[in-house]
Amino acid sequence: MEKAFNLPDSTDWLDTPLSLLTPLESALRCQVCKDFFNNPVITSCSHTFCSLCIRRCLSTEGKCPACRTSDQELKLRRNWAVQELVEAFQNARPSVLQLARRPATEDWEETEAGTEKHASKKRKLDEQDCSNTKVPERRQTRSRTNCAERQTEPATMEVVEDSQDEEYVPEDGLVSCPICNRRMKNEAVFQHLDMCTGDPAPPKIKSLGSLQPMPPASRKLNKPPERLPTINYSLLKDTVLRKKLKDLGIPNWGPRPLLQRRHTEWMNLWNANCDSKTPKSKRELLQELDVWERTQGGHSHPTGESAGSVMRKDFDATAWSTNHESDFKRLIANARKRSDALVRTTIPSAAPAESQEAPTAEQTAEAAVPTNVQKLEQPLVDLTGTDFPKPQLAQDVEKSERTYVIPG
Amino acid sequence: MSTVAQKRLFHEYKNLSTNPPDGITAGPVTEDDMFHWEALIEGPQGTPFEGGVFAAELKFPKDYPLSPPTMKFVGGGVWHPNVYPNGTVCISILHPPGDDPNHYEHASERWSPIQSVEKILISVMSMLAEPNDESPANVEAAKMWRERRSDYERKVRDEVRKGLGL
Repeated sequence: MEKAFNLPDSTDWLDTPLSLLTPLESALRCQVCKDFFNNPVITSCSHTFCSLCIRRCLSTEGKCPACRTSDQELKLRRNWAVQELVEAFQNARPSVLQLARRPATEDWEETEAGTEKHASKKRKLDEQDCSNTKVPERRQTRSRTNCAERQTEPATMEVVEDSQDEEYVPEDGLVSCPICNRRMKNEAVFQHLDMCTGDPAPPKIKSLGSLQPMPPASRKLNKPPERLPTINYSLLKDTVLRKKLKDLGIPNWGPRPLLQRRHTEWMNLWNANCDSKTPKSKRELLQELDVWERTQGGHSHPTGESAGSVMRKDFDATAWSTNHESDFKRLIANARKRSDALVRTTIPSAAPAESQEAPTAEQTAEAAVPTNVQKLEQPLVDLTGTDFPKPQLAQDVEKSERTYVIPG
Repeated sequence: MSTVAQKRLFHEYKNLSTNPPDGITAGPVTEDDMFHWEALIEGPQGTPFEGGVFAAELKFPKDYPLSPPTMKFVGGGVWHPNVYPNGTVCISILHPPGDDPNHYEHASERWSPIQSVEKILISVMSMLAEPNDESPANVEAAKMWRERRSDYERKVRDEVRKGLGL
């Protein structure tokens, strides 16, 4: 959970010079899950969502979440253009963000060191295009790495490319397109001619697999799994439904409403997976169903208060700390031992000085025990966010007290 | 194990912390449980609620954002036609489109998975400014608001002052 603030988000751009990328990134994210589109599909009302998100919405409500037009999952169509946009953006994101965040720290250091005083933003952006012209040595290495990564990626392209050497005709049983010279199977040529733009086969470096329409040749490699049809549950008797779940290979225990919900979830997971360019295995889908089972299905706690993970309002901290006093003592002792050992191994000379500080840390730890038992277990969690409403409240109250004018 | 709901709530939390709307603060009570939030809303200016700070708790269902959260003002009642005496907020954006017990809400005002905590809190803020007395949650307050507006406003101001400990 401590990764809350490492979660990439459109707001990452806000305090950089590229804050205008915030709306761009928002537009590449699904409005339902707020994540980047995953297998985006378009509805009949022309709204785009992740395949799984919209399937879940449609199976609960039957309406588009954006405009509330009725729709059916059968009418969903894949939105390749959006998928390509997302993939391209995600590829570029880390390096662009790094560059955008750099001026505040590194540029200043560099100015200090007397190098790269005039590294303009424009030029930094150019580096993204892997242009190897006149970029500072350090950046160049980086952009080269990027290029290299890209080159290794597009192994999915199945079309044989020979644009490098037009004289050479490989004996591979393929024929070349009369317009663009791409080589392909004889029977695929006519289909290809319908959409051939005449552009010569692009050089390898640009061909991120996804950027091309899927070539007919690669389609037969993995036959798309068959979609599951929706079931009108009211027409099925319990035993039939149970058998159906068993035939699908998913758990078939529990009361009838649970069986229906489980089947719906499985159907959504399965059919969304059918929309994927790289479908997952059934085992992975079963794991996802298991997560669902534990959070929303038969193994979830109806109260929502998962045992012990939340401190209740009426939590008796004093009783808890007396009950577990020995445990805390042991934990504190262990921690002290470890930090002492660490100090001794790293800076042996500093040990006497450090020993004066040790009691302070231990006092803090002990003070924290009775009031906040939870936090002791996860000392690494960034808790700054946890209680931020409270200080704010105090401030606000003070402010209000100052400005409040009692009427009359 | 991070579910869709948790991840989405993380996104909303981060968004609200880095880019908070005016007069609104919100976040999980503890990061161990993303399904239980606390929110603070400033009373809108130019209304009897001005100057007040209202704390509320939000509880999210496990299938969020398919279903809406519930929202309840804590620590002292909010005297308002659309707030139940126990603090629960009754506002159309918190009602799933499936059931309309009140038969007056337009589907377009109701909960949808593309709504968010931010939109809920903004709606609640504007609800404080402009009560909807068509289907009041607090009948007494609605009656007072409709028939004796100055009494209503005085009562609200008194509550606000009490809430601030004055």
